[in-house]
Amino acid sequence: MTPSRSSRLLLLALQLGLCLIILLPFFWMVSVSLKPAAEPFAIPARLWPENPTLDNYLTAFRPEFRTYFFNSVVVSLSTVVITVTLALFAAYSFTRTQMRLLSILMVLVIVAQMFPASAIIIPIYKMMKSANLLNTYTSLILAYVTVTLPVAIWMLRGFLARLPVALEEAAAIDGAGPFKIFFLIILPLCKPGIVATAVFVLIVTWQEFLFALSFTSTKEMRTLPVGMNDFIGQYGIRYGELMASSVLISVPVIAIFFLLQRQFVAGLTAGAVKG
Amino acid sequence: MLKRDRWLTWIFVTPAVLLVAVLMYYPMIGTVIESLYSTSFINPTPKFVGLAVYKKIFASADFGQIVWNSCIWTLAVVVLQNVFGFLCALLLNQKLPGQGLMRSLILLPWVLPGVVAAILWRFMYDPQLGLINSFLISAGFGDQGLAWLADSSTAMAAVVIAAVWKGFPFATIVYLAALQNVEEEQMEAARIDGAGPVRRLWHVVLPSMKEVIAINFILTTILTFNYFDMIWVLTRGGPQNSTHIFPTKIYELGFGQFRFGEAAGYGVVSIVVLALLITLYFLTQRGGRRAVA
Repeated sequence: MTPSRSSRLLLLALQLGLCLIILLPFFWMVSVSLKPAAEPFAIPARLWPENPTLDNYLTAFRPEFRTYFFNSVVVSLSTVVITVTLALFAAYSFTRTQMRLLSILMVLVIVAQMFPASAIIIPIYKMMKSANLLNTYTSLILAYVTVTLPVAIWMLRGFLARLPVALEEAAAIDGAGPFKIFFLIILPLCKPGIVATAVFVLIVTWQEFLFALSFTSTKEMRTLPVGMNDFIGQYGIRYGELMASSVLISVPVIAIFFLLQRQFVAGLTAGAVKG
Repeated sequence: MLKRDRWLTWIFVTPAVLLVAVLMYYPMIGTVIESLYSTSFINPTPKFVGLAVYKKIFASADFGQIVWNSCIWTLAVVVLQNVFGFLCALLLNQKLPGQGLMRSLILLPWVLPGVVAAILWRFMYDPQLGLINSFLISAGFGDQGLAWLADSSTAMAAVVIAAVWKGFPFATIVYLAALQNVEEEQMEAARIDGAGPVRRLWHVVLPSMKEVIAINFILTTILTFNYFDMIWVLTRGGPQNSTHIFPTKIYELGFGQFRFGEAAGYGVVSIVVLALLITLYFLTQRGGRRAVA
């Protein structure tokens, strides 16, 4: 039974409405970022820029912004590499070795992500302070690896559990050692899972706010989200520049997300639906 | 890993287990200990006070307000995100033209960094320059803009809407995947029996998605209860505490006023709440497994 013409039109209209709800704020962000300095103050607000210009981008891309950007790239990429590597090893062991103690450990690790970061922020801050790690990349990377590990292990576990052990057994009969099996058989087979996990970790780390806000106090060490939060005060109501910086921050993650989207969504929902 | 390589297991899991133990569980114990001491800006040396911090917290008017706000915030965001997310999943499962593009676009708000989303919504809500007021005024609703975020009667609704916009795409994607797992034969059988779309949804689709829905509800409850960025950037918990929830209150007490003891007290309360939610999550998941088996 195919739905009638009118009900299909209604559904299409709803879909258009949904599209507007999602895209309108984005459209406005880009539009304001292209408006010359005085235009955002026109009342009522206009959706289209009258005289589009890139001025806001040139002012937004100031030295501080470049520092924040560089810090965010260093911290995020290090976190992605370390988290995915550690999670892969851990998830592999968790799925291949059946042992009571091991499954208890796994549950404890996966549950850890559900506790609020705000509830542990003060003791962690004090630990970092006494280890002289405040205002360092190390403190942020350590915190980010720890908070992303549980999700990463959870996602990769789903992929690894579906790989038949028979492959590994066959390789072992052919004389392959554990590392050869891991790198030559397991690793290539869970590439989609690795990509999905890496994108997820990147999205989480790129926007992390609470730890960065607490661990960094110097301008040299701040990351983009914290820098953005400072801009609200510094720029006053220079919305054009604020929106231009917002676009600059969002473009890298959105680009990576679109490039790897298919694998990302498959990986994410595999974990979420299968539990 | 094969039996002969068992010895590698512990080497492989140790780094992850160690990090989580030292940087997540150990600080949780730290929070409990911290809450038994009193510090302030004037008296920076910690002094053991036992349960005095809790007495102080529970007696203060702030605490009641924060519990109330956290409940409203979590409940509203979770219900709206899941209901709206589910309806959008139904819509995107109708094989309409442009569906492929929509499925790509829908995750955009979720990918957008939280602080950027918050700044964007702050601007949307701006009394004079914001898109929302401009739209309302030109549509004829009054001639003066409302200060959504600065008015304690509208601030909570405003932060909830921003958070729902940011988070509902995730629910949509999860539900869309689950919808595609609904068995075609069951749908067909219901159709032959003469069940309309609403009855098919109620008697076939929803029962087969029960576990996914329950798990997603609990997971979003946990994430929303813990969510700090949106409220902190939009309102910092104001005006007059009207949007303060546990995470923002903890941060303000600890890093804004250096009242570490009280901040930790709020932290312990939120850990207890989360422990209850996590237990619920596992009970649901176990129930789900049994139903599948």
